[in-house]
Amino acid sequence: MSSRKVPCLLRGGRKWCNGPSGARRSFALSSRKTSSARILNPDNSFATKSLGNSKFYTTTNPRSHSFSAPPNGAESNYTTVDPREVAHFNALASTWWDPHGPSRLLHLMNPLRHDFIKSCLDSAPLPFTYPETPASASASVAGPTASSAASSATSEPSSAGSEPTSASNSSARKLKYLDIGCGGGIFTESAARLSSTLSATGVDPTPSVLAVAQQHLSQDPVLQRSGKLKYLNTSIEQLPVPKTDDERVDILTLFEVIEHIEHPAPFLEKCMPFVKPGGWIIMSTIARTWTSWFTTKFVAEDLIGIVPRGTHEWERYINEPELRGWFAKQPGWGNIQNQGVVYVPGIGWKEVQGSEQWGNYFFGVRKDD
Amino acid sequence: MRTIRPASSLASVSLRPRPRTTFICHACIRSLGKRYASTSAPTGSAIEAPEIYDVVCVGGGPAGLSLLSALRSSKVTSGLKVALVEGQDLSRTRTWQLPRDQFSNRVSSLTPASVGFLKDIGAWKHIDTARVQAYDEMQVWDGITGSNISFDWPTGSTSKTIAYMCENLNLTRGLLAHLDELGGFTLLDNSRVEKIETGEEYSFSSADNSLNLTGWPIVQLSSGKQLAARLLVGADGANSPVRTFAGIESRGWDYERHGVVATISLEGLELDLSDFSNTVPGGAGKATRTAYQRFLPTGPVALLPMPGPFATLVWSTLPSHAALLKSLSPTDFVAMVNAAFRLSHVDLAYLHTLSSGQLEEVSWREKHTAFDVAKIPARATGVQDGTVQSFPLRMRNADTYTGERVALVGDAAHTTHPLAGQGLNQGQLDIQSLARTITYAVEHGQDIGAQLSLESYNAERYAANNLMLGVVDKIHKLYATSFAPVVALRSLGLGAVNQLGPLKRFFMEQAAGTGKRL
Repeated sequence: MSSRKVPCLLRGGRKWCNGPSGARRSFALSSRKTSSARILNPDNSFATKSLGNSKFYTTTNPRSHSFSAPPNGAESNYTTVDPREVAHFNALASTWWDPHGPSRLLHLMNPLRHDFIKSCLDSAPLPFTYPETPASASASVAGPTASSAASSATSEPSSAGSEPTSASNSSARKLKYLDIGCGGGIFTESAARLSSTLSATGVDPTPSVLAVAQQHLSQDPVLQRSGKLKYLNTSIEQLPVPKTDDERVDILTLFEVIEHIEHPAPFLEKCMPFVKPGGWIIMSTIARTWTSWFTTKFVAEDLIGIVPRGTHEWERYINEPELRGWFAKQPGWGNIQNQGVVYVPGIGWKEVQGSEQWGNYFFGVRKDD
Repeated sequence: MRTIRPASSLASVSLRPRPRTTFICHACIRSLGKRYASTSAPTGSAIEAPEIYDVVCVGGGPAGLSLLSALRSSKVTSGLKVALVEGQDLSRTRTWQLPRDQFSNRVSSLTPASVGFLKDIGAWKHIDTARVQAYDEMQVWDGITGSNISFDWPTGSTSKTIAYMCENLNLTRGLLAHLDELGGFTLLDNSRVEKIETGEEYSFSSADNSLNLTGWPIVQLSSGKQLAARLLVGADGANSPVRTFAGIESRGWDYERHGVVATISLEGLELDLSDFSNTVPGGAGKATRTAYQRFLPTGPVALLPMPGPFATLVWSTLPSHAALLKSLSPTDFVAMVNAAFRLSHVDLAYLHTLSSGQLEEVSWREKHTAFDVAKIPARATGVQDGTVQSFPLRMRNADTYTGERVALVGDAAHTTHPLAGQGLNQGQLDIQSLARTITYAVEHGQDIGAQLSLESYNAERYAANNLMLGVVDKIHKLYATSFAPVVALRSLGLGAVNQLGPLKRFFMEQAAGTGKRL
């Protein structure tokens, strides 16, 4: 196992390294070092980090399974989580839900994530139908309107009265989400609130941000009691790999995660088995260009400081064609979707066609059914 | 009529449908009861735990009812658990009725945009449109110089309605009927808000039953019922308790003017009782109707058309003048209304010094005053009994319309001088914006009470309302003077505006709510 190839995605666009020693070498080459742990990373921080140059993906060995194994063969110890990243996001924990705090841009971006997911789902129908769970059939955030239906309606106890909660298309099946690198739960919480959601699970290796997520959830007793949302303080490697489609999810999300991952390819391979046939991996990240360096590193972090310094490692940014090229080689995955978004100060996040080539972008890829 | 639910329990916060079962042990309920008894129980008896709602709207006026209608009629938001709290007994609104030749004195001017919104949410069909009057011309002139501006649409444009005059009770009754039809909400009328507090973490002996309502507004009603609000909407008027709870300041000034209202009958028009058209608002095949407003140094006086030979008066004037007008006999009062549109401001000032006998004074003075009959309203012939009332005029704007789990709409957010007929319409625009904001939040899984979710509402409405309040305020101040140079300038101003088609069009489109959103 140790002889298996491991991608070295750090700066310099090195292609493949052999095993753990190769991995270590790549660390040495990079200006930052530390453990050979890789990143899984906490959600949010809307941009960043490096991947080698595009050659990496274009030369990727299509035998994807061959490099998904841990570098040292110790399955249980292997992780894609980078401790430096964990430390960085620990420090940000307390301000995660401050609407004017360092995570503001993520909060503002969050609705666009849902819009992108919807556009992906619209592009290809979900294949399966699963039984409805009556418990979560309500669109209400606070629960069904109960006796209020009988309320004032002196006149006609009509249509809406008896069925006040069927706001959503009850015929559509409800979705299961797995949010890897959920951070403070900005996306996970919002996904769980949707009436179209059956369940949402947030996973993050950083204990303090996950505590923030739990704490924030507790302040919405309605959502908490719905049982739709749960958090796990772990990394993807520690999650038991699902054996049946029932255990798999419809939407696996990696929002602002991949750019914090040192070795994206094996990490993505870890994620793949969690997705149902017909389900999606949805991610957002940022292209590695001079523009993104200027906007995310220089302007956002250094100049105006809307993003905490050190959030991003530009060298880990991944370009859309690199992701596209890599997924094109994965058997059983396709229907790639993308959408570039640009943050315009004073206005907010806007979809900008073509900006996926030079800035923040969403990327969706569907598992064939 | 009311739907105060039977003793609800904490179980109601569960997402499960109709969770009528109580899963709190008796000891927990007792301890909870004590907790509340110690803080707020008015009667000292055991208190229910707060029942959790997505939206609690305080205030059952046009703004509150419109918001509920909007939320209940939209597919996206109809799943929200909503409650309406109102101090008055709304059954009186439901059963409100007047003969067709009588009109309430509280009438609002609804712009086509507001009517469009009411149609969109399905409420307009519940409005008795035979009682609604459209107008498509405005005559506005300066009471000192006579300088005139007439706001009719340029020939060639298809008939455009500037606004619809609609009794507030006709509107609220229609909204209630619409809500009754929709159902699915909790109506707590006849309920006074005793206090609003910020929630905390309530823990019970069983760990499962802790309830963290930190930061949630808890509304306590006179009945002892408590409601926890994910989003608390203050549609509770100019003295909004919700605004006070949120610690939001409201700034502005009193105009030291009162608005005198009355329902007036006019000469030369007839009420077509055969018309029961429910499709064309103000239908009645009525000839083009015009709204009249004259700027006097004491404030503007306006006569706005109602169906048939009726009109509603809004006369902004000094509090002492308002008091005198209210004390006059009907004949003297009617004479004063005619005088307000015909005589000079000097004559009017004198007439306000008489405690009676205005009728004779006015008819004598009219003979010696030149006025253009084509530009003034038909002569008033009578005033409906009991409709002469007055209220103080104020300009206020809250510092912000949103707080954590709080949003203010309508008069709770802003009050304005009635001279432009925009007060209720601004409230309707608030409702549209807030409903849009809530819809977006629900669609995107946001907590609808979080300040971040509400930002767009405040951003959309604060600046727009502030601008409208400012414009109206400036107009009031510009005309509330007889200082000669200013009078000369404003005369030039109105005269100039009248010559400028595009500018006039802009003003009219603003009045009709069809122009570029301010």
